[in-house]
Amino acid sequence: MTMLHSEESINENNKSARRRKTGVYKLEPNDNVVFENHRFLSTLAIGKRKISEELLPPGSHGIFRQKQSSCDHHLTFSGYARAAKHSIGNIGNILSRKMAASTSQPSIPWPNTKDDYELGKVIGVGATATVHQAYCKPRNEKCAIKKINLEKWNTSMDELLKEIQAMSSCNHENVVTYYTSFVVRDELWLVLRLLEGGSLLDIIRHKMKASNCKHGVFDEATIATVLREVLKGLEYFHSNGQIHRDIKAGNILLGEDGTVQIADFGVSAWLATGRDLSRQKVRHTFVGTPCWMAPEVMEQDHGYDFKADIWSFGITAIEMASGTAPYHKYPPMKVLMLTLQNDPPNLDTGAEDKDQYKAYGKTFRKMITDCLQKEASKRPTASELLKHPFFKKAKDKRYLQQTLVAIGPSLETRVQKASKRQPGASGRLHRKETGEWVWSSEDEADDGASSESDSESKPMNTLVSAGSSGSDHESSEGDAPPINLVLRMRNSKRELNDIRFEFAVGKDSAEGIASELVGAGLVDGRDIQAITHNLQKLIETRDTKKVVTFPLNSGVSNQETPDDKALIGFAQISITD
Amino acid sequence: MPLFGKSQKSPTDVVKALKEAVNSLEKGDKKAEKAQEDVSKNLVLIKNMLYGTSDAEPQTDIIVAQLAQELYNSNLLLLLIQNLNRIDFEGKKDVAQVFNNILRRQIGTRSPTVEYICTKPEILFTLMTGYEHQDIALNCGTMLRECARYEALAKIMLYSDDFYNYFRYVEVSTFDIASDAFSTFKELLTRHKILCAEFLETNYDKVFSHYQRLLNSENYVTRRQSLKLLGELLLDRHNFTVMTRYISNPDNLKLMMNMLKERSRNIQFEAFHVFKVFVANPNKPKPILDILLRNQEKLVEFLMRFHTDRAEDEQFNDEKAYLIRQIKELKAVQGH
Repeated sequence: MTMLHSEESINENNKSARRRKTGVYKLEPNDNVVFENHRFLSTLAIGKRKISEELLPPGSHGIFRQKQSSCDHHLTFSGYARAAKHSIGNIGNILSRKMAASTSQPSIPWPNTKDDYELGKVIGVGATATVHQAYCKPRNEKCAIKKINLEKWNTSMDELLKEIQAMSSCNHENVVTYYTSFVVRDELWLVLRLLEGGSLLDIIRHKMKASNCKHGVFDEATIATVLREVLKGLEYFHSNGQIHRDIKAGNILLGEDGTVQIADFGVSAWLATGRDLSRQKVRHTFVGTPCWMAPEVMEQDHGYDFKADIWSFGITAIEMASGTAPYHKYPPMKVLMLTLQNDPPNLDTGAEDKDQYKAYGKTFRKMITDCLQKEASKRPTASELLKHPFFKKAKDKRYLQQTLVAIGPSLETRVQKASKRQPGASGRLHRKETGEWVWSSEDEADDGASSESDSESKPMNTLVSAGSSGSDHESSEGDAPPINLVLRMRNSKRELNDIRFEFAVGKDSAEGIASELVGAGLVDGRDIQAITHNLQKLIETRDTKKVVTFPLNSGVSNQETPDDKALIGFAQISITD
Repeated sequence: MPLFGKSQKSPTDVVKALKEAVNSLEKGDKKAEKAQEDVSKNLVLIKNMLYGTSDAEPQTDIIVAQLAQELYNSNLLLLLIQNLNRIDFEGKKDVAQVFNNILRRQIGTRSPTVEYICTKPEILFTLMTGYEHQDIALNCGTMLRECARYEALAKIMLYSDDFYNYFRYVEVSTFDIASDAFSTFKELLTRHKILCAEFLETNYDKVFSHYQRLLNSENYVTRRQSLKLLGELLLDRHNFTVMTRYISNPDNLKLMMNMLKERSRNIQFEAFHVFKVFVANPNKPKPILDILLRNQEKLVEFLMRFHTDRAEDEQFNDEKAYLIRQIKELKAVQGH
């Protein structure tokens, strides 16, 4: 299962697309989870790798958003004041300025013409953007170019502008380096530093596949080294009055020399727009279940500040040790409930055995606990965290070259993966701000890396496509193209909805999909059997039959009479390709 | 307060030190590196006075008032802006933060810095030319938009000759600079409704002949953004006179009709929102009416098929239906 989305296409009053304003994620009284901006949620992983960045410019919404804009600056900078531990005349500060100044010695500036660049391989693909490895001819230098299709970015461009400006206002070793941007026809080209090591998530996945990581993925020294670099980047963001809002392993990139940079300033927010997803034959995997999200971000009552990043940072620390975020097994709504209702997660939250992670010491655990305090004000600032004893274990870049870059997947491997459209395992459902449901595999689940949890959260394939000749000519079951399906039925407001999804034969089960639909609140629990049964039947007989209409157990209301044509009391599943 | 008291500098001292450092940076003598350092250091000191730090609250109003007074008297704000390109990356951002904070300062209802800048418009003109220089463009943009919030300053900028340079800046090749210039441009043309309307009325010909170039730009973003802004300007009721004038010109109608057929759906959509004003005008001048009549059938047919997938956008569909009805009912008027 790679993705699924429901286009609430019929009678659906889909206004949300017009008010994509602030990043909000909240629970509505009727228990619907509403993502008004899926920046937090649906970071679009571009294949196996993302080169994308965002942060929030000072004083823009998201920071103390309930205030009028005239106060924003003051508030933001009092936030700044708290964030920046630099005392007056801090020498380190001055030195870093000097370094920044000396590294920007004028050489040939990054050109703004397309012909000055040679585009290389695609290293990532998204809904409206493609990332290429590239070569800048006049400078004789490699870079990454992200091409964003502006025509598909159909709301106001202001947010796009803000994010790119925020990016260009950063000059820090641990923040992804932006060189220039220019318009080519209806595309925006962003020229960025090429980080050939890929994301930390790539490396985690790769390592989990290659070796037994049951008792932890990385040693403490590696974790401390990477996280210290991330903290330095965060400290810089925060001192700029910016919040990253999407810190996680997938957004931490590695250079060949062991450089660690924070990337993805929320390109997701404008990558994942609309229905082009299904038309374009590229892989779209939405990641970022709210696993990394701080409680106050979920609640959104009082606004939130840079401390939200510290929570995400804590989750990332767990991720580096265990390979996944604590609640990664659960659907987004469940994660929300767990995060809000339970005590903060810790290293052992996602563990299967009690002593699984006993190799990790007290200092590390304490650092995580400090970050994952529900009350944001109690969490340390990035600058305070840098002084935490855990980071005494940190080593230098070269150490990361050995422990991370050398063992990570090669760029070539990642390129291949990015272009391969293997159906992933059944996954998670997200609601996008446009009101669409998007079903994605967990992150870029195109390697079976997290098989431990996968086998648990997903029923093994109970559906053997017996008698189906469809896969005869295919080399392996994993390569079978997924079947595209539409479930058409009425929702609780009796409006017709189309729920689109894919079914990967050999990977998905009818039962698993039906229960995910129920879990997401798209389908009445009473209809689970009917859907399971009919979906299975349709898949089995897909060579001869393309549509099945069937009665629902949830029945009809008093005023209605069942009608299989009008789909009152009935639902229909059809194969679309 | 710091334990080791050296930084208990008075506003007078800091401003003096900063001014000396900027002067020596400007001269580019051999102490340039030292000067660079001093500029950075003193900028941080001033910034901390205004914003505070994690260890210290912002300074009291009296100190800040002194600081502001020193900044005015020393002419340092202008000096900093003139030498912005010589200041390092973080220092440039600090200048913008200091400038914006001082600008926002109020005494009762008075904004002393606004009054000060009115007497020193050179500050504004220098900032406005900041878009010519890649490495300071965005910093200047930040300060300019803060200035544009004050009507008195917006007026100076709008009525300066430099304003017309914006039609060039919004089209520069570096996207973030062009888009920053565009936000400043838009702010100037929309923020103070009455001022803007007056400006557009008195300078209609000059502004719209320049504007025409943006609408025909080779740059997709410029075309799309300027078309959108045009729609907003025309639909703002303050700009009624300007709108009436705009929709009386058949060339403008032709341009919009062509843009309705552009390859880009977004441009088509923005063009629709300008086109609708021509059609909805109850007193269409004859040339406009003639064009619409000549294309009556084609337009109806075109609109029937126009963006039919926007089913969820009620307002758009209502407007489209209204236009179709209007165009169908168009009749040649005799004797006008």
